[in-house]
Amino acid sequence: MINRRDNSTLLGSIDWITILVYLLLVFMGWLNIYASVYDDTQSGIFDLGQRSGMQIVWMGICAVVGLVILLVDSRFYHVFAYPLYVASILLLIAVLIFGDEINGAKSWIMIGPVGFQPTELAKVTTSLAIARFMSYYGFSFHKFSDFIRVVLILGLPFCVVVMQNDMGSAIVYTSFLIVLYREGFTGYIYIAVALMITLFIVSFLITPVSVIILILLFCVVCEGIMNGCWREKIIYLSYIALLSIGIFLLSWTLFSGAISMVLAIEISILLSMGLVAIYAYRYRFKNITLFIVLLFSSITFVATIDYLFENVVQTHQQKRILDLLGVENDLRGWGYNVNQSKIAIGSGGLYGKGFLEGTQTKYKFVPEQSTDFIFCTVGEEWGFIGTIAVISLFCTLIIRLMKMGERQADSFGRIYCYSVASILFFHIFINIGMTIGLVPVIGIPLPFFSYGGSSLVAFTILLFIAIKMDLTKRESAI
Amino acid sequence: MKNFRIKVLQIFVVTVFVIIGARLLYLQVIDSKYKEKSANNVMRYEVKYPSRGEVFDRNGKYIVQSRESYDLMAIPIDVEPFDTLRMATLIGVPKEKLVKEFQKAVRYSRRRASVIIKQLTKEEKLRFDELNIKGFYTINRTIRSYPQKIAGNLLGYVGEVNDRIIKQNNYYRSGDYIGMTGLESAYESVLRGTKGVKINMVNVHGVSQGSYAEGAYDTLPVPGTSITCSIDAELQKFGEELLEGKVGSIVAIEPSTGEIIMMVNTPTYDPDELVGRQRGNNYMKLLNNKRRPLFNRAVMANYPPGSIFKIVNGLIGLQEEVLTPNIKYPCAGGYTVGRGVKCHNHISPVNLDYAVRASCNAFFCYVMRDIIDNKKYGSVKKGLDVWSEYVKSFGFGVDLNTDFNGELKGYVPTADFYNKYYNSRWNSLTVISLSIGQGELGCTPLQMANLAAIISNRGHYYTPHVVSKIHNQDSIDSRFYEKHNTMVDALHFNPVVEGMFDAVHKEQGTARVAYIPGLDVCGKTGTAQNPRGEDHSTFMCFAPKNNPKIAVSVYVENGGFGARIAAPVASLIVEKYLTDTISSSRLPLINYVKEQKIDYSVYDK
Repeated sequence: MINRRDNSTLLGSIDWITILVYLLLVFMGWLNIYASVYDDTQSGIFDLGQRSGMQIVWMGICAVVGLVILLVDSRFYHVFAYPLYVASILLLIAVLIFGDEINGAKSWIMIGPVGFQPTELAKVTTSLAIARFMSYYGFSFHKFSDFIRVVLILGLPFCVVVMQNDMGSAIVYTSFLIVLYREGFTGYIYIAVALMITLFIVSFLITPVSVIILILLFCVVCEGIMNGCWREKIIYLSYIALLSIGIFLLSWTLFSGAISMVLAIEISILLSMGLVAIYAYRYRFKNITLFIVLLFSSITFVATIDYLFENVVQTHQQKRILDLLGVENDLRGWGYNVNQSKIAIGSGGLYGKGFLEGTQTKYKFVPEQSTDFIFCTVGEEWGFIGTIAVISLFCTLIIRLMKMGERQADSFGRIYCYSVASILFFHIFINIGMTIGLVPVIGIPLPFFSYGGSSLVAFTILLFIAIKMDLTKRESAI
Repeated sequence: MKNFRIKVLQIFVVTVFVIIGARLLYLQVIDSKYKEKSANNVMRYEVKYPSRGEVFDRNGKYIVQSRESYDLMAIPIDVEPFDTLRMATLIGVPKEKLVKEFQKAVRYSRRRASVIIKQLTKEEKLRFDELNIKGFYTINRTIRSYPQKIAGNLLGYVGEVNDRIIKQNNYYRSGDYIGMTGLESAYESVLRGTKGVKINMVNVHGVSQGSYAEGAYDTLPVPGTSITCSIDAELQKFGEELLEGKVGSIVAIEPSTGEIIMMVNTPTYDPDELVGRQRGNNYMKLLNNKRRPLFNRAVMANYPPGSIFKIVNGLIGLQEEVLTPNIKYPCAGGYTVGRGVKCHNHISPVNLDYAVRASCNAFFCYVMRDIIDNKKYGSVKKGLDVWSEYVKSFGFGVDLNTDFNGELKGYVPTADFYNKYYNSRWNSLTVISLSIGQGELGCTPLQMANLAAIISNRGHYYTPHVVSKIHNQDSIDSRFYEKHNTMVDALHFNPVVEGMFDAVHKEQGTARVAYIPGLDVCGKTGTAQNPRGEDHSTFMCFAPKNNPKIAVSVYVENGGFGARIAAPVASLIVEKYLTDTISSSRLPLINYVKEQKIDYSVYDK
């Protein structure tokens, strides 16, 4: 009886599939790190002077860490969520002051030759803290004090990491939006975010005049769908068109073109507010308000991002975005990484060039090939078969983590599992997306694949705490 | 509500992964351009140069050989500080040049190989090898050498391809050699061989990482094919000696085959001057020489044929039946109708045989007028066009289609030409100079030699050519085996052949200086008036009279009477070719020819 119970507690109830997926990913990652640093002069796969050898050491450490996590009582994480969070924030600040700078980011602690990034651990503690806070009885997004605390818990590490000049790691914190959505955060925010991203991209691809016309049409159509009265819409649009052309021509003759077309349209819209007010008086007031808010916020947004993009965003980030959108095409300069990365992955074909046969990676055409661009090696040497296998494993892992979350008895476990799923998902999407030219280059590692002790250990801890929680829940269910 | 959100999140996650998968499908499976780009990144094609085919003369002597040569290469990043002065001295270049070229290589790429100095000799290469300087190495090329130092214009020279050639012909890449002129150019595709290639892989810095696919796609260079040239090297050398200091040309043809036995142009140059590192300087020197040594007069100069052309008119007259061997015309110091044509003092009246022998001008004026004023054609215009057709059948005014590039057609006027020139108001007297090979006629020394061959063959010729054998082929181009008949029947040739024989052998003959006992030389002198000073001395001949072995034309600019220089030169050539030596009684003739000084001040203006 006792044996049986023991068996089911530690081995039987554990989510073996997740463990298996994890082991597969780590093993494949290790093979690809070996391939990416491989050249003919190299002594061996286990050579500690090489990254593949070092990764073995980190994998050993992960095994120990994973086992310890499985043995520790899961209540520990609930109890120590806040202290760990505070400790990690302090550590981040300490790094900011005393740490070492590598590649422009002051986020490293060097212990001898081995570097460590506390940023990676902060993801774990932040997940625990947010889970702890949002799981208290009576938590609601409608309570302003609760909402502001959520913002604080997430914003604190975000700000410190930004100050370390590690934008990539900081952006990862936006992945918590997924958790918040699951926990009932208002859906409008997500629509707004989607609109903003669309507007952001569109504003680069088409001329300002087109942007403003598009915004106007979009708002008018939205309002039309809610209220009907299409005849008035047409009258309204004609009025705007006539007015703006009038203003533009007037300025052309009087002030020799001091007012641009964009400005002319904006003035017309402003002047049209009188009409809108009359219209609002006759129809439903609330929908008109929405129309006005949408219209003005969009126009302001476009103006703001233009300003921010020019003045706040750093040059290399600007270039990465422009390059992705195809606005600039500088294959030897800013576009070099992504171009070579696409060549590596694209040249893999259906079956790939074979293990250690990737010329793009072996001959170092792809930069950062064992860390941020490790997916190139997968694509080049294992082909479409390999890349599909890897993303299928990742997809499985994330869906399983979500399921795990739903299985949890209390909201602490659920929120934590979702946090893990969100962070992993964000990393995978951004990292693979940048190597294939879907998202701009953002320097964050591919979980379990990229070379680097801190990230491997941190992702292992992140995942194993979730597994442990799942295990505990099943234990208690028996 | 919760369930809805869970579903939304799951669908969202799966959708994102599907988008990534679709993008990967596009990049890796559908769009194939990345495979090519990756290959471009990694593969470097190293050319292996073949040795160029060699050229033999008709007796199997080397006239063009391939010599080993070495290009000095450097990979700047591997180069450590070295003694530039010592190295420059060893390989025989100024230190400044070495430094300049090296800096150029650094600017091009620090990691890729660049040529520093081209065409080192074997000795320089061996000396360089002893130094063993890191980062420098040599690669094998072959360059030309000319053991006989003859026939520069005939053989042509080899040079590096320029951008225009690279654009036109995708075989050539920068740094390749190509035949620029003469034989080298005409037989380029035979001589050049096939380049080999070695495919190497390089890393991002351009450093070699070994050969691609263990050399499975590498090819070895195929050496160029050798050719045998119909030139007799010794005869060519003799001819060049004879004409040294004069401006002119000698062409000799084997009548039974059309093979060109010699093709001398003077002034000539040592073809070795256009090889190696001094080439550029020497080339400019030759180019700036006002007597134009790089101009292949034998096939490119447009000369008036002069009196030798009378033969053609005589033959046309016989064929047209306006002349018989027995008809006699009077000559009292010339032809007196119209503006008139002067003649020298000889007996009168004369028949065809005597007119050829003594080169009577008046006789051929009568003949010419009878040909073109023939009632049967109705007008002089028709008549002249008929005459034109005859002349063209002798290879004048047409492309002979030899194996030479840039061969000149020459010019045979037609009625159209005179209609334009004289606004249609002209008659047979207007064009009377054509009867004695002057006026608007223009031809090359090769065409004149071909005329000699036609007469010796009694009415036909084979397209003249300089290559008699391509070493891996059974035959040369079929056009060289094709017999071209003139519009004049063979039987009409005998009277003019007799006349040419008599010119050398009988009293009053203009070419008696060309007499060689026992060789039956038949010849015709010419003294071509021209606007550039003294008359050109010309001569054409063949020997022996029956079963001719050689037909020669000699053209010496401003050399005066045909008998003064051209005839002696031609006779020496014939003797040398047929007997392999010059008989002692005729040795003074060599000196005589060499001592003749001609005033070429017209070139130095």
